[in-house]
Amino acid sequence: MQISGLRYGAQLLGLVDFPHPEYLTGGADNGAIQDLLDKYGKIVVKPVYFSAVGKKGKAGLVRVVDNLVDALTAKRELYFANHQMGGRTVTANGVTFEAFIPSEIEVYFSITESTQSRMPIFSISPWGGVEIESLGSDKLHTTWIDPFMGLKSFDLTNALRDTGCPAEFISPLVQQLPKLWQLYNSYGLSTIEINPLRIQRVGGRYIPMACDIKASFDQDNPASKRVGLPDTIFKSDTTAFEQEINLLRTYQGQSDVLEMNPEGTILPFMFGGGANSAATETLGSRAIFASDFGGNPPYEKMYEIARISFQHHLKAANVLLLIGGKANNTDIYVTFRGVFDALRDHFAEFGPHPIYVVVGRGGPNLISGMVYARDILDSLNLPYRFFGYDTSMIMTLEYACRVDDWWQSDGRDKYLAEGSAPSNQAEVQS
Amino acid sequence: MKQLKSKPFPYYVGLHSLEELVTRDSRVCVINILGGESRTVTPTSHEYSDGNVVAGVQYGRSGKLETERGDIPVYPSVRDAMKAGHQFDVGVIYLPPLAVAQAVSELIHCNDALKRVIIVTEKVPTADSRNIRVLCQEHGVDVVGCNCLGVANAWDNVRIGGALGGDDPAQTLKKGSVAIHSNSGNFTTTMAEYLLTEGFGLSTAVSSGKDVYIHFALPEFLYAAQNDPRTKAVALYVEPGGYYEKMALDMIRERKFGFNKPIVVCVTGRWKKDIGRSCGHAGALAGSGDDALSKEAWFDEYFGMPCFDPDNPQVSRRGVRVASIQAIPAAMKAVFEAVGEECDFEPRGDLNLKPWLGDNFLALPAELDLPLVTPLAPHDEALGKINRQVGAQFLKRNMRNISGASKLDPLTSVTSLHGTSILELSERSIEQNVYFTLARIEPLPEDVSTVNLLLNLFLKLEEGEIDAVRRARANGATPNAVLAAGVSVVGNNALLEESRQQARLIIDLIRNHGIDTQTTEFSDAFNADAAESWFVDRNGDMDEVTAFLLKEVQNSTKDCTALMVCQHILKQAAAADKQVHHLKAFLLAATAVCALWRPMLRKRISRQTVEDAVSYFYLIARQYAYGVVDPDGNKAWQKLTGPGLSGMGESFTQNAFRILFSRKAGREELMEFRYLIGLTLSNGAGTISAKGAKESVSARNNISMAYVGYLANTGLAHGGNGFEAVQFLMRYFADSELADPNLGVAEQKAAGLDISGLARRAVREYAEYKAEAKSGGAMRVKPVPCVNHPVFKGSAVNIDPREQYVRQRLEEAGVGNTFLDFYHLLVEGMFREGVTRNVFCVNIDAVLACMSLKLVWKPLRDGRMTDTQIQDLVFTLFLYGRTVGVTAEIIDHRDRGTDLDCRTPLSELGFVL
Repeated sequence: MQISGLRYGAQLLGLVDFPHPEYLTGGADNGAIQDLLDKYGKIVVKPVYFSAVGKKGKAGLVRVVDNLVDALTAKRELYFANHQMGGRTVTANGVTFEAFIPSEIEVYFSITESTQSRMPIFSISPWGGVEIESLGSDKLHTTWIDPFMGLKSFDLTNALRDTGCPAEFISPLVQQLPKLWQLYNSYGLSTIEINPLRIQRVGGRYIPMACDIKASFDQDNPASKRVGLPDTIFKSDTTAFEQEINLLRTYQGQSDVLEMNPEGTILPFMFGGGANSAATETLGSRAIFASDFGGNPPYEKMYEIARISFQHHLKAANVLLLIGGKANNTDIYVTFRGVFDALRDHFAEFGPHPIYVVVGRGGPNLISGMVYARDILDSLNLPYRFFGYDTSMIMTLEYACRVDDWWQSDGRDKYLAEGSAPSNQAEVQS
Repeated sequence: MKQLKSKPFPYYVGLHSLEELVTRDSRVCVINILGGESRTVTPTSHEYSDGNVVAGVQYGRSGKLETERGDIPVYPSVRDAMKAGHQFDVGVIYLPPLAVAQAVSELIHCNDALKRVIIVTEKVPTADSRNIRVLCQEHGVDVVGCNCLGVANAWDNVRIGGALGGDDPAQTLKKGSVAIHSNSGNFTTTMAEYLLTEGFGLSTAVSSGKDVYIHFALPEFLYAAQNDPRTKAVALYVEPGGYYEKMALDMIRERKFGFNKPIVVCVTGRWKKDIGRSCGHAGALAGSGDDALSKEAWFDEYFGMPCFDPDNPQVSRRGVRVASIQAIPAAMKAVFEAVGEECDFEPRGDLNLKPWLGDNFLALPAELDLPLVTPLAPHDEALGKINRQVGAQFLKRNMRNISGASKLDPLTSVTSLHGTSILELSERSIEQNVYFTLARIEPLPEDVSTVNLLLNLFLKLEEGEIDAVRRARANGATPNAVLAAGVSVVGNNALLEESRQQARLIIDLIRNHGIDTQTTEFSDAFNADAAESWFVDRNGDMDEVTAFLLKEVQNSTKDCTALMVCQHILKQAAAADKQVHHLKAFLLAATAVCALWRPMLRKRISRQTVEDAVSYFYLIARQYAYGVVDPDGNKAWQKLTGPGLSGMGESFTQNAFRILFSRKAGREELMEFRYLIGLTLSNGAGTISAKGAKESVSARNNISMAYVGYLANTGLAHGGNGFEAVQFLMRYFADSELADPNLGVAEQKAAGLDISGLARRAVREYAEYKAEAKSGGAMRVKPVPCVNHPVFKGSAVNIDPREQYVRQRLEEAGVGNTFLDFYHLLVEGMFREGVTRNVFCVNIDAVLACMSLKLVWKPLRDGRMTDTQIQDLVFTLFLYGRTVGVTAEIIDHRDRGTDLDCRTPLSELGFVL
């Protein structure tokens, strides 16, 4: 849950009356844009991205224009501008026209949680507007925040003085910046970054203006829902599959998924954060999604997770994989019952699908769970291998990969030719 | 905030050595002790840890948590626990996330002796976590978590806070010299399990959690491990996000504290570098410099070694990083050798691929075809035991207003039973539906034969059995009460109970001896068990029914394990010149178990259903037999229910028709009869008939009383109301010249009967009635029976899709129904004449009334049936269908429901004057 830019950031800043430049959205008519130009002389045209745009922001995708023709040209070019961040490309969803704020300095300011001091910290620099990592400690100052007191004026003053901020700007900044702690603390934020913060001179006064904003929210904090931003801007973060699974999110059992490769060939149910991390790494692009279904989910939740997963992804899969270490408190019988009941019902509703099942698991009620799964797979006439916790989890994952290769090359055909015909297999015990 | 500091840290750390983290002397208070997770985990922890939980808190409640080490007292608040004199130094929190910070505050403020808090809860907001940090730092309390599985001390056999080691911690948490710190609770236990394979046990294991805030993080862990004389080396599992590890390594390098014990670390999560949100652990989200690669580099630099290669096990005295946790044991062994230490005990097992279970029908290529191995003890024993279990295991829960059998689609009002719509089921025979109701899967042809056999056999009544039924009818009881009278008397008679016992014995024998379709020979042990359970000396002749059943079982060629076993038992008995004890019950049970063996193995139905199957077949058939309207005048019924084997060659559907109509059904009549029965199978679990059955089960009645519960909840408003429509039709057709109700409108006209004219008359009369009623100030005008439906109204032309479906199917089969045509002309006429604002729908109840009337039209016209008999017959038709459908609800509620689960909660009760 992240946002960037004034299109939605202005709403956030408005919650604590933090000043920001006047702006228009991409739908503004020419008259309104011209009025903005007439009022401020120059306007800044920026693409709007739902969610975050990486740590380098929208560099290279910002235009400062002083006439309507250029403004409209920039709008056309930026409206669907692609932006590369890490391994993925995001596409803009409109533009904003923002008043250009002349300023002698650009200030960088952020609040986030520090794992080093195990406190919230703020960072400030009057040398903002650039890649902040390149600044030395003489130009960028970081101080921890007492969560019960919030941002203290003297900390801000000291930090600004130590980093060379011109004296006339210190007081206006110290008056406004504590509002950002209120925003951060009251609305479930986990990071807020203003860069640049430009200082507008109005008459004899200086008013700091947040000209760009990045914010991320703690989705476990219900206060983040109070911001009132439309859900749609966060949905671009998630695929249809992820959205459906996210509806099951409760504190009782994990239901975290991250769609990795919808064209992948292994449908992996991973149990536990560690299994999620290690298994996704081992499976690589074969993994349709990364998941964590640990934390002892109740049957109903596990069934729903599996039902949704099968509906979205079973067709693509060669291997259905259930993988986890030796569970501490996740009931293997309950979770396996959820998964395999859902598989059985999926077959009943949508017809059979040839798939090989590999299981690697340990934990309470392990044998009950495995036997339950075995009996259902026998009745569905699906091939399988189950490994206990005396087999390395990683070796099981590697085995699943080898099965995947074989299934892709000729295992599937062999199964369809020889093994898939209904038989009395259900009556055969192992 | 006044920051407490404990050297060498710039913050407070209360712990000096890992051996002090949790000990035999730690005393624990668990918050939300009776919550779902704690209720299962805390007793195990308490028992493993020599009874160290002194009290629990369940806000607003008092009570106790039972454990094998004695009950743990439960108080409504921490204050109350303290007032009761309990002293503890560790608080464990299992609360929902938003309550966690409050509980920490309560623990701190109520208990000055508090040293540590362990927070198991996941998804605690980061803001709350930072407040917890500040609060505990101010008050000198160490925190482990959030989102962790606590701490275990394998030397003292103590685990506190979570389920480390699972449900049998002693099996995994062996005393040894390795301390574990893991971002994953699961991997804490898994690594401990893996380390056993190279002979390493644990000193202390810490599941740190992997939220943004790790309150007991690596710097303080390594500091405490260094000061712990039990710990010789450290195993770490690390995920991306956060600088805890860098901070710890920097502190060691900067000599903030001396640390010289080797570390084996596994870092995973390179793939998380490019993701924008967390999956799994909330804090495992890398920023710019704390991704997995960076963390690998921190450790590699500290060790001065590249990643561990098991084929070339090079390590430094400082330790080594491994690529995956499976390499931890080998790396630990290498590290111990490097520092000149011995492992803790003899290695146990290995981590190689060892499949426990596998299919045996698809040949794998040699490199994948690993032989199955017997699971580790104690799982080998558990597998053997569970292999003997069979059938679906349902989760017990409150089933009031919930059904796992029927579902009513609110949009179409079409009910489905076990996932199949009743429209589809209405095209099947009664015996097919009886099987489907019990088995939840489609019957094979041989299953239908078996069901026919059992149902027809159970139509045979005992002498005098019908007396209660006759008396009820003579006393003016409605058909539901008549059936209930008969069923009540059945109770759980000896035959039903014996059959249940026999079914149980048969299933036990098969599972205990691992018999399946591939079994070709029976062992001596099997034969001995069979002889002990069944064989008795011969004692006289068997009756006709038993002899018939015996022949059926002996001659059956059905491919079924249960049948094969029962045939073998009969053969063995004959060979030993013995007789099978309770032979009739044995044969009935064998037949029923055989019919339901397939769905039981597929886990569609419970073992209990199979054991009870004879009771269900018996009670369904009996209700059909008791449903006769005119026992003295119905020769067909007398033959079917009397002695001998009459009717055994017929389908049960045909016999049911004969019981009701005293004649053999023609092809078309049979088809309509099937629709009549099928459409009334179920209208969802919300119907009072279904609720009656469920409530009776909820009171722990036997099966016959469950049927009585359902029957008691039918009546003239539910089931008996079809007669209103029959009466309405009779008003127009009684004096007509209708000879053949099978003909269409045009054919009737040709035969001299103007159906359209009758409909116009009905419209006119209804319009007059309506106008009169309205002018008289009537608040509610009585509608035409079976016209319109709460769901299917409001369009210009309204259609009940159920009625449309049946009508179409009948038309396709060339089966007409004059009464139904009349109904359609009626609703069109009502609209045309302005009596209704749109064309009302003819609903499904009209179909039932029209079909019923058609079936009795001839005897009615001939004066061979009275109005009361017709009323009873229409009601009984409903009961015939519903009895079958409600069987599914009874079975479902017996499988899933709990005693008294149908009670209405106090909060829903009202009182009026």
